[in-house]
Amino acid sequence: MGDQNTPITAADARQVVRRCGFGIPVKESKKYTVDALTGLTRGAVADLFLSFRPKGFQPKGKDFFASHNKWLKFMLKAKKGYALQEKLVLFFHDHFATNYTTLANQMGQADALVMMGQQNRFFRKNCTGNFKTLVKSINTNPAMMNFLDTVLNLKNQPNENYGRELMELFTLGVRDLNGKVNYLQEDIVQIARAFTGWQHDIKANTGHLHPEAHDTTAAFPERGPKVIFGVAHPEIVPPAPPHNVGGFASPQSFIVGGEAENEIDEVTEILFQHTDTDGENTIARHLTFKLLEYFCYANPTKAVVDQIIAASGFVGSWEMKPLLRAIFVHDVFYETAAPAPYGALTKKSVRWPVDYVLGTLRSLGMKPKGTALQLQGGDFNYLYDLLADMGQTVMEPVSVFGWDWEESWISGVALLARYEFVRDLVTSRFSEAFRPERLIDLDLTDPGDIVDAVVAQLGLSDPLGTNSQLTADQRQDLIDYLTDNGANPTLDLQDYDTRNRKLHGLYGLLLQSPAAVLH
Amino acid sequence: MAITRRQFLKRSGAVTAGGLLGPGIFSNPLVRTALAETIGDRYFVVIYLDGGNDGLNTVTPVDNDMGTLRSDYMAARKPGPGEGGSNSGIRLSVADLAGTHIGVDPATGAQLALHPGFAGAGPGAGGFKAIYDAGDLAVIQGCGYPEPNLSHEVSSIIWETGDPLGIGGYGNTGWIGRYLADPATGYGALDIPAVNINSAIAGEYVQIGTSVLAISRLRDFGFPFDGDYEDDAAAKEQAFLALHAKSLASAQPTVALVGGAGTVTFNASESYPALHGLYTSSRPAFNQMYTALDTSMARDLREVAKVIYGVTTAQANIDARHFWVRNGGYDTHGDQGGATGQHFNLHNEVASAVKVFYDDLADMGVADKVCIMVWSEFSRRVIQNDNGTDHGSQAPVFLIGGKVNGGVYGNHPNIAAGALDDGNTVYKQGADPFRSTDIRDVYGNVLKHWFIMPHGVIISNVLKLDTGFDPNEYWTVEDFDFINGGQPLFLP
Repeated sequence: MGDQNTPITAADARQVVRRCGFGIPVKESKKYTVDALTGLTRGAVADLFLSFRPKGFQPKGKDFFASHNKWLKFMLKAKKGYALQEKLVLFFHDHFATNYTTLANQMGQADALVMMGQQNRFFRKNCTGNFKTLVKSINTNPAMMNFLDTVLNLKNQPNENYGRELMELFTLGVRDLNGKVNYLQEDIVQIARAFTGWQHDIKANTGHLHPEAHDTTAAFPERGPKVIFGVAHPEIVPPAPPHNVGGFASPQSFIVGGEAENEIDEVTEILFQHTDTDGENTIARHLTFKLLEYFCYANPTKAVVDQIIAASGFVGSWEMKPLLRAIFVHDVFYETAAPAPYGALTKKSVRWPVDYVLGTLRSLGMKPKGTALQLQGGDFNYLYDLLADMGQTVMEPVSVFGWDWEESWISGVALLARYEFVRDLVTSRFSEAFRPERLIDLDLTDPGDIVDAVVAQLGLSDPLGTNSQLTADQRQDLIDYLTDNGANPTLDLQDYDTRNRKLHGLYGLLLQSPAAVLH
Repeated sequence: MAITRRQFLKRSGAVTAGGLLGPGIFSNPLVRTALAETIGDRYFVVIYLDGGNDGLNTVTPVDNDMGTLRSDYMAARKPGPGEGGSNSGIRLSVADLAGTHIGVDPATGAQLALHPGFAGAGPGAGGFKAIYDAGDLAVIQGCGYPEPNLSHEVSSIIWETGDPLGIGGYGNTGWIGRYLADPATGYGALDIPAVNINSAIAGEYVQIGTSVLAISRLRDFGFPFDGDYEDDAAAKEQAFLALHAKSLASAQPTVALVGGAGTVTFNASESYPALHGLYTSSRPAFNQMYTALDTSMARDLREVAKVIYGVTTAQANIDARHFWVRNGGYDTHGDQGGATGQHFNLHNEVASAVKVFYDDLADMGVADKVCIMVWSEFSRRVIQNDNGTDHGSQAPVFLIGGKVNGGVYGNHPNIAAGALDDGNTVYKQGADPFRSTDIRDVYGNVLKHWFIMPHGVIISNVLKLDTGFDPNEYWTVEDFDFINGGQPLFLP
C-alpha cells in the first residue's frame, strides 16, 4: 500500500511513463525520463505530469487523411506532460464520440474537417479542466450537434437522440454500479424538449437557440412544464429478485425552469446532482470508473472508485486535475494488473491500437516518413492503414459509444495487423531504420541478460511475477529462442548477422507477445 | 455494476478462445461426417442491421382488412412526395408498395408489403421479394422481449445474449456462443466453428469453450512471417507459439484471451487465405456480381461465400458453419426518407447483396443447408419526428433458406395510437390478439429445428424462461415448434 508520499522505483517509473503517454520514448525531456523519475514520490510525479499548460494545437488539413495524420504526428512527437495531454484528448474523443464521415455526409467535407478540428482543440484546451464546463460546452459543440441530431430537434416532434446519449454516455450511464437504472424514457423525452430549437454556428464554434423552434408551455400546454426525474416510477421497483431492472433509491424531482437558452444548462446542473442507489454522485462514479479502466485495469471495484472520488474532492468541484492526480497516486495505477486474488472480471486492459503503434515507435526511437506517415519498406505501411486494420481510426470512432474497448481489439484480423506492424518495423529486411544498438548494450552476451535488457528498455514488465506481463517461463522461452534451445549458449551481438537475426527477432517476439499487447 | 457494451465485452473470460485445451471432437473428420449426416451439415448466417431498423417501414400494412393497421400507419407517418407531401414525410403509399406485396397479417388479415428497397437491384434484382415468392423467406413479425429497452447498446446486448432480464446467469455470452460451447455440440478450444466478417467478435458469438475468428478479408489473413533469415523462422514460430500457449494457461482472463487468440489466429492464417484464390478462380461469374454491387454488404457476404465454398470442397482445416456480417446506418433519427432516400438505400443494399449470395449458395448446391437470419436491435417510434424516427420496440426478423418455410409469422404489433406506450408498441404474451414474438422463441426454433439441439438442453443451457413473472407480460412458456400458432418455420 502506498500513497502520494511513496517514492517510486525504476519499474514504477516505467509504468508511469507508459500509462501517462505512449510507450517509453527514447527521446524525452530530461526531467521526464525513467532515471529522473526514479526516487521521486508518487505525488511529485503526478504533479510533474499534470503541470502542462494545454496547447492550442488543432489538427486540420486539406482532407481527412491530412487531419488524421497531423494529429497522429502531434501525438508521436509529444514530450513531457503533453503525452498525457494527448492521451486525455483521445479519452474525451472516445467519450464524446463524433465521427468525421457522418459529419461529412451531412455537411460536406470542408465543414466536417473544421468541426472535427475545433472539437479536437476544445478537448485539448479543457482536458484537465472542469468536467461540468466540458459537458455544457459539448451541448453546443457544432460537431456534436450535428452528430446526435440536435440541429434536427424541433418543437413539434422532439428528436431524442442527444437527450438519450447525454445521460447514457456522457454523464450518468444507463445503470449505476449496482446495476440499477439511472433514468427512464420519460426523462429522455423531457430533456429532448429542453434541447429543441438549437442550431449551430460553425464559424463561431458554438450553438444558439432559435426561439420559434423551441418547445414552450405556451405553445404546447398539453405537454405541461418540463420535468425530469420527477415522474413516479412504480413499475421499476423490482418485481421479484433477482432482476436486472432497478429503481431510484428515492424519487428525485427537479423541474427545468425557464423557457429559453438557459434550459440546457439547467438540465446539465440537474444531471450533476443525480445520485445513485447508494446515494453517491452518479456522474462522479461513472467518469471515475471509466478513467480507471483507461489508465489502470478493467472493472475496478466500487471501493476503489469511491476512494479516488473522496481523495479528489471531485463532487462539487468537478475539476479533472485533482481527480487524475488521485488516480495517479493510488496503488491501482502502479499495479501491472488488478492485485491477486483478482475476480474473474477484473483484469488487465488491452492497449489501444494508437497506444500500441505510437508507443512502439517511440520506444524504438523510430519515426514514419513524411506527411503520409509511411514506415520504411513494404507496400501498405502507412500508419493510417495499420491502425485501421487494428480497428482504430482516429476521428472515426466506430459508433456513438466510441470504440469498443478491451477484447474487441483482440480478434484475428486486428491481431494480425499488430503482428504485421511489428514484423515490418523490426524483423523484416526493410527494417534498416531499426537500430537496437542505440537502445541496449551490445556487449551483453548472456541470453538472460539480453532478454531482461530488452524487456526493461520496452518497459514491458517487472517484476517477473505471476501477475506480470511476462512470466518467468516465458522469459525462458525467449532464452531458448536466442540460444536455439541451448545450442549457442552465448551471443555476440556485435556480430552484424547475429544481431539482425536474433536481437531483431527478440524485439519482434516481445512486441508481438501478450506482454506488449496488454497494458 | 453499470452494464455498458464495453463491460459486457470485457466480462467474457475469453472471446476467441476458451479454457479447454486441445482440439475438440470436431477436429476428427469422422465425427464431422457423422454430425453432417445427423443435422445435414448446416450453415447459419447472421446479418445484423446496426442502429435500429424501422420495422414499420420494413413490413408495412397496405390495407386494414379486419383491423386498423393501415389507418393507424397513415395517422402516424406524414405523407411523402408521392402523396403530395414533402421529403420529410416517410409514409409509404399504397402505390409505393404495389410491387412488393407478401402475405397477410395472421391476426388482422391486413395485406402486408416489404419496403420497396427490398426489391433489390442490379445482379441482385428481385431481392427479398423474389426470395419470398420462391417460398424461401419467412417474415417473423413483432419480435421483441419484455421491458423493451431503447438504448442501442443495451438492446443490442439483449438480442445478442438472449437474456432480457439478465436472470440467466449467462454473463455476456451470446445465444449462439452458448450453443457452440455446449458440451453436447462438441467443439473444442482450438476449433473454429464460426467466422465473423468484422474487426471484432459479435455479441451473439461470445463464449468460453471454442474459437470464433474475426476476419475482414480472407486474402489478407496470412501470418506476417519474417521474409529474411528464413533459417530462423522455425525458431521464431516455436517461440511465438510457446509464449502464447503459456499466456493461454494464465489465470488472468485477458492474458488467457490474448494467448488463445494469438494461437488460433496463427493456426487459421495457415488455412484461410487460400480460400480467396480458390473462390475467385472457381466462381468468376458470382465473384463479378458481388463486385458489380460494390457495397460493403456484398463484399462481406462474398467472404462468407468463400468460406462456405471451402467447406463444400473439403479444404483442409476449414470447418466454419456459423457466420456474422453487419450493415450499419439504421439509426434514422433524421432524413430517413420514404420510398426513396436513406432508408431505401439501406434496404436496397442488403436485399441486393443477399439475393446474389443466396443465388451463389444455391449454385454451390447448399441453399437447402443454409439459414440466414436478419435482425436489428429495435424498431423505431411509430409516430415519426420531423423527418425521421426515434427509437422503438418490437421489429420483424427475416429468416431465409431453402428449408425455411416461407411466409408471414407472428402478429404485427398494435400500432393504434391508444395502444402505444410512450409512442412505442407494447410487448405482449399470453392470449393477447397482438401477442408479440419473443426473440427467444425465434432462437429456440432455430436451435431446435435447424441445429437439432434437444429441447431440454436449450431450456437448461441456452435460453431461460422468465419463470415467476406475469405470463401476459413475460416469456413464461416456450414456443419452439411454432411461432404464435403458425406453421413450423423449417421444412423437414
